[in-house]
Amino acid sequence: QALPQRSSGSSILVSPRQKGNPVLASLRSVAWEYSDIPADYGLGLTTCALFLSLKYHRLHPEYIYTRIRNLQGKYNLRILLTMVDIPNHEDSLRELSKTSLINNVTIILCWSAAEAARYLELYKSYEHANFSAIKGQQATSYAEKLVEFVTVPRGINKADAITLVSAFGSLKNAVNADPEQVAVINGWGEKKVKRWCSVVEEPFRVQH
Amino acid sequence: MSANNALQPVKLSLPLEYQQHLFQELRAEDELVVIAKGLGLMRLVTNLLHSYDAAGNNLIIVVGAEERENAWIGEALAESAAVSMAPKARGLTVVNTDFTSVAAREKMYAKGGIYSITSRILVVDLLTSLLDPDTITGLIVLHADKVIATSLEAFIIRVYRQKNKNGFLKAFSDNPDPFTVGFSPLATMMRNLFLRKTSLWPRFHMTVASSLEGKKKAEVIELEIPMTDAMRDIQTAIMECVEVSIHELKKGNSGLEMDDWNLDSALLKNFDVMVRRQLDPNWHRVSWKTKQIVSDLTVLRGLLHSVLALDCVSFLQHLDTIHAAHSPQPGSTRQTQSPWLFLDAAHTIFETAKRRVYASNAKANAKSSIDSLRPVLEEQPKWALLAEILEEIDRDLYFEPPMRDDSNGTILIMCADEATTRQLRDYLQMMHVEPKTEHDTKQSKEAHKPSAAFMMRRRLRNYLNWKREFAQVSNALFTENQKALEGAVDPRIAQGSYKGKAPANKRRRVRGGGAAGAAPGRAANGSVAQYFEKPNEVADLMDEIRITGEEANQKADIIADPLEDMDDYFELYEMQDLVVVHAYDGDQDEHVLEEVKPRYIIMYEPDAAFIRRIEVYRSSHNDRNVRVYFMFYGQSVEEQRYLATVRREKDSFTKLIKERASMSVVMTTEFQGVEDPQEAFLRTVNTRIAGGGRLAATAEPPRVVVDVREFRSSLPSLLHGRSMIIVPCMLTVGDYILSPTICVERKSVSDLIGSFKDGRLYSQAETMFQHYKNPMLLIEFDQNKSFTLEPFADLSGSLKSVNPNEVPSDLQSKIVLLTLAFPRLRIIWSSSPYQTAEIFEALKTQQEEPDPVAAVRAGLDKDMKAEDQVFNLEPHEMLGVVPGVTPKNLKNLTLKAENVREVANMTVDELQLLIGTEAARQVYGFFNRNLIDLDD
Repeated sequence: QALPQRSSGSSILVSPRQKGNPVLASLRSVAWEYSDIPADYGLGLTTCALFLSLKYHRLHPEYIYTRIRNLQGKYNLRILLTMVDIPNHEDSLRELSKTSLINNVTIILCWSAAEAARYLELYKSYEHANFSAIKGQQATSYAEKLVEFVTVPRGINKADAITLVSAFGSLKNAVNADPEQVAVINGWGEKKVKRWCSVVEEPFRVQH
Repeated sequence: MSANNALQPVKLSLPLEYQQHLFQELRAEDELVVIAKGLGLMRLVTNLLHSYDAAGNNLIIVVGAEERENAWIGEALAESAAVSMAPKARGLTVVNTDFTSVAAREKMYAKGGIYSITSRILVVDLLTSLLDPDTITGLIVLHADKVIATSLEAFIIRVYRQKNKNGFLKAFSDNPDPFTVGFSPLATMMRNLFLRKTSLWPRFHMTVASSLEGKKKAEVIELEIPMTDAMRDIQTAIMECVEVSIHELKKGNSGLEMDDWNLDSALLKNFDVMVRRQLDPNWHRVSWKTKQIVSDLTVLRGLLHSVLALDCVSFLQHLDTIHAAHSPQPGSTRQTQSPWLFLDAAHTIFETAKRRVYASNAKANAKSSIDSLRPVLEEQPKWALLAEILEEIDRDLYFEPPMRDDSNGTILIMCADEATTRQLRDYLQMMHVEPKTEHDTKQSKEAHKPSAAFMMRRRLRNYLNWKREFAQVSNALFTENQKALEGAVDPRIAQGSYKGKAPANKRRRVRGGGAAGAAPGRAANGSVAQYFEKPNEVADLMDEIRITGEEANQKADIIADPLEDMDDYFELYEMQDLVVVHAYDGDQDEHVLEEVKPRYIIMYEPDAAFIRRIEVYRSSHNDRNVRVYFMFYGQSVEEQRYLATVRREKDSFTKLIKERASMSVVMTTEFQGVEDPQEAFLRTVNTRIAGGGRLAATAEPPRVVVDVREFRSSLPSLLHGRSMIIVPCMLTVGDYILSPTICVERKSVSDLIGSFKDGRLYSQAETMFQHYKNPMLLIEFDQNKSFTLEPFADLSGSLKSVNPNEVPSDLQSKIVLLTLAFPRLRIIWSSSPYQTAEIFEALKTQQEEPDPVAAVRAGLDKDMKAEDQVFNLEPHEMLGVVPGVTPKNLKNLTLKAENVREVANMTVDELQLLIGTEAARQVYGFFNRNLIDLDD
């Protein structure tokens, strides 16, 4: 499939070293091109990734340190894309965790070439994205918000939320209801009643 | 009872031989007691506690007690103290919230006595030496079945045993099931409990059997009632839905072991738990649909119970709400819905349930398409039987009054839950009231039979009113989405559901049972459609059941029992004449029996434990005769479930006995064979090296500051096991502080998903960067959970899946965003808490030890005291969901308002002062929006 020609700014830069890596075959959604860069993948102006297979790492433990050193602190975000392809990964991962702290790299684990490729694509396409998606401000409808609100206490489900508001008409009334009034609603057993009534009364602040 | 404690004579209330035997055993040595449900575990525990309490000069800790158990123990101890007039007895002190201050706790512990302490508080107090393990006389562990290697209770026992070799340690459980799951479960459990001896007391134990099967056996009459045809149809249809759901589940998760997911096991009480347990290792990877089906199964199994327990009107109402809750947002397609709603069987459930309540027949002068509805109101078969039994008891009492004995002559009716008790109370009150309508005044001369007609008519009236309101509510809730969607989606699909006020001919409900026999009522997308009667049909029906004179005379439904003056009412009646309706409530039932002293017991629903309680009660009292009526629906789920529980318990005990017999072998070959991390961990715990007292010559032992809320997880216990010193503190920033620069936020995979969703992680990362140089995010997988994030679904994304403008839904893309936002945030990937402990150890080498004081201070406002900034989680979370509330103004609200109720009751003006105009309007609207009288 011929991808439209784009300027190098919008494609992933791949070091020739990566030739033959199955990850490249899975890189489908974003354009990529070979380029002579110190990292394995250039994912933007300030972001790069090194690829490491744990299988390889076990045989050549010193390899990755050389590579990290060669980056010479050029990038702001330095991903160590680690493929977990051995069953006994514990020791290697422990060591890499320590490395990440000392050598200033961020470890991302993946379990297949397809997943690795997906991470690369994501990094490239989110290069200029804003972070609202993880800031938790998502607009939803009143019904969804209402259900979400009522189902915070453990054990109360969606159906309970709807019976509750339909019994009381509004959320305010439901919050003010007595346990006995809640208990007569279909599906509201003692445990749920107790949880609901105690959570709306529970003080926000723990008192000492 | 004679006393057995030479030092201090105490009165015990253990009349039966096996109880005394067990008590002596427990006084003599440390052991794990597993006893069958209903044989009086609580009574044993309280008597044991009392024997220590009376002696005085003790510090005894009860671990793992639930809230209500605390209440029972407290009551029982006070009572026994009064009975045996023990001057030194001090009763039970419950330490269960953070309300008691540290200083007060320290003083309390110094005084001694019996304490029931929440595990989370206890472990912190033990670690901070607020409660010195050396001073503890003994530990009583309840619910021993829940003590697994990584649990808090196991941690407590370990800390206790490390410092205290002489104190006693006794563990109790009345649930043998968990002891039989896994490889040599009993041996593992014993090691977790630091115990060497087990004592098993099944119902078939020789001593138990001889104690209960003496001359004083209770008279039991078993009554099997057939279900009505409609009930059976519904049950069959539900079973079909369950079967299909299970099938779908298997299909969607090939790769998993699901041999025992079948219809038979689906009837068992713990089927949900079983499915969850098997799916759990992969829970973060399964598709949305699988999760949907798992929750469907819970709903369906709930229905199986409600069809037997609820009356036909309530059942229909229940179905209506379930249907509303499970209906898709308008415009969605098949893929996003519960599969069972598409089955013919689902249709059968809804239709049959409806036909039990009212039927339709074409009007004689039918020009229009209006059918007349008439009430059917099928009664539950058990009601009539109950009335019959009561009559029989009456006759019995009249013709051959029983010999006077110690029992009260009260009739006790036991049923499954509070809802059923209400139903029965209504029925008993109203079964002799006849609803007289014009048609049947002539026939009413005939002998009157007890019937529920009156009650049912009242319920139907309420139901119809409710339904009208409910239509409005769901309208109000769901039209909003619809409006939003209508522009984008084909209107033909959108009109499928929830348009209560659309033109009548579009909303035609088609009655499958009626003469019309047309296509089943389906929505455009193929699921069962919600129906709403036409107003004039409902009017007909209302007319039919309108309030008659007699009905008007009856007093209105009592909703809230005036429980405060219960005592006053109790005095008014002779116990002789009372009919007491009660719900099964675990060990509390014993007290009910003792207090009511019934002559007749009617078990409205089967319960294996209660039968034993009756046996114990009967055998304990020579002069109290009891006759038990035991009723169940033949060939019903209820019957099968009952039989299955009895069988399972017996099997579990048999397995336990077998394992105990061969256990000595297991103990000697303890450290051979395949290395399980759990075992490896347990082995490293050497009780001889006191916690953290590292013998090496290093200057300082390694130390980790841990947030007290983290004690819910197993990691602190494991760190302690690797001989690090755990400093529990109330932390505002981070969960674990490893060094002055390293701060770790721990997230399990499910936490991670949740905290991305509400943005918590983002702000946590922000604050970590304000206070620490090297913040780290620990993504911790569970032991035995699959160590991967790859979903079962195909990843190879289309262009759309990496489009930055789409809101990303998968975890991978959110992790990517997080690292882009915080390039210096390090991620630790750990396959299990065991692994995490090792990683922490590695990270800490050659780092300075953290300073607890600085760690606590980080993130706190300087001008506020630390205590003011500790929050309760759930109310906070609820408030966070409310539209208009942002993480920033949330703080204002929680400081000014006491609780959620107060916020809900605030006016716009009050809110405005705290959070500004726009937000105030949103918050006020959220709570005050009226869903019933909606005008637009």
